[in-house]
Amino acid sequence: MGTQELVGIVPWTFVAQICNLFIQLWLIKKFLFKPISEVLEKRQKMTDDELKGAREAKEKADAMKKEYENSLSNAQAEAANIVSSAQKEAISKADKIVKDAEDQAAQVKARAEADIEQEKKKAINEAKDTIGGLAMDIAGKVVEKEINENDHKKLIDEFINNVGEAS
Amino acid sequence: MNFEVNGSKIFYTIHTGIPVLGDFPITETLVVSWIVMLIITLLCIFLTRNLQVEHISKRQAIAEMIYEAAHNLVRSNTGGTRFDWLIPLVSAIFATSIVSNLICLVGLRSPTADLSTEAAWAVVVFIIITACKIKAGGIGGYLKGFTQPIPVLTPFNILSEFSTPVSMACRHFGNILSGIVIDGLIYAALAIASSALFGLIPGVVGDVLSQIPILSVGIPAILGVYFDWFTGCMQAFIFSMLTIMYIANAAEG
Repeated sequence: MGTQELVGIVPWTFVAQICNLFIQLWLIKKFLFKPISEVLEKRQKMTDDELKGAREAKEKADAMKKEYENSLSNAQAEAANIVSSAQKEAISKADKIVKDAEDQAAQVKARAEADIEQEKKKAINEAKDTIGGLAMDIAGKVVEKEINENDHKKLIDEFINNVGEAS
Repeated sequence: MNFEVNGSKIFYTIHTGIPVLGDFPITETLVVSWIVMLIITLLCIFLTRNLQVEHISKRQAIAEMIYEAAHNLVRSNTGGTRFDWLIPLVSAIFATSIVSNLICLVGLRSPTADLSTEAAWAVVVFIIITACKIKAGGIGGYLKGFTQPIPVLTPFNILSEFSTPVSMACRHFGNILSGIVIDGLIYAALAIASSALFGLIPGVVGDVLSQIPILSVGIPAILGVYFDWFTGCMQAFIFSMLTIMYIANAAEG
């Protein structure tokens, strides 16, 4: 078994090594790079899909949120409306009640005043009558003289009127 | 004591009768190259077995790391993804080189300790460099490039062009061969030293012990860290780096 030169190029070895290099290149490509890049691509695709899904879900959630916010603000406006209309109604009702009460009170007062006036007149008349009778009795006793009923009445009236005017 | 370093053994010679190429010798270089290729391929198959998209195994993590490292090395040195076609070639050169360099640790002769191997790689790289230059500047631009900056420099430019593959091949080969030579020298020297040391022991014991190279155990392994491991990894890396750099430069015109 011989040996080749220590430093030298053997043509066949040279050619064979070029072939070996390209075979090795192909083998590495086939058994290492291709499967790994396939897996990496798959992972990339999966990540992209997940990201896309997440983005879509977020958009959907945002839309839903907007919708809810819209409906919520609508509801709030409606509630405010209801409250304000109720307040208005209540105020108007209260006003009406107060007015009614005032009217009623005024009426009652007027009636009471009228009653009082009447009672006063009545009392005055009664007093006139009583005083008149009294005066007649006193006068009769004083003058011992029967006076015509009519003259008598006239006199009394005059007297009372004078009294009323003087009072 | 004689010490010699031989070229790779020729196991069998196929007579071809082809004029220039001559006979086809099945050398140790070729046989170990095939073993190296088998190792790399089996490793690739082992690493990429049962790949998963999620919950990856440690094995797959290593495979993906190698894949990413190869891509990063090429992309960071060429700037961009224009040279992605280079990645498998660089990976093949790097893997073959490093396994070839380190296979001497198990007692086989490195295929890289044969200049034919490095010359083959360097010529492949040289052809790609030239192809890239012609593609970048056209055949006229390529030829005109030799007369730059002044026509007087043309011979030197041609010389420098051809020195690229020669230097690449010789650098790698020289480093690996020197490792082998130094390993051989150390073994021989340690055998002599051990025989001299234990020959001092008188009587039969000394005679027996001096025949056994006791000092050869352990010490060469320490030196091997530099001459085999470090140089082996370094040269594989340098060759790959130069491949990337030269081709990237060539394509830029």
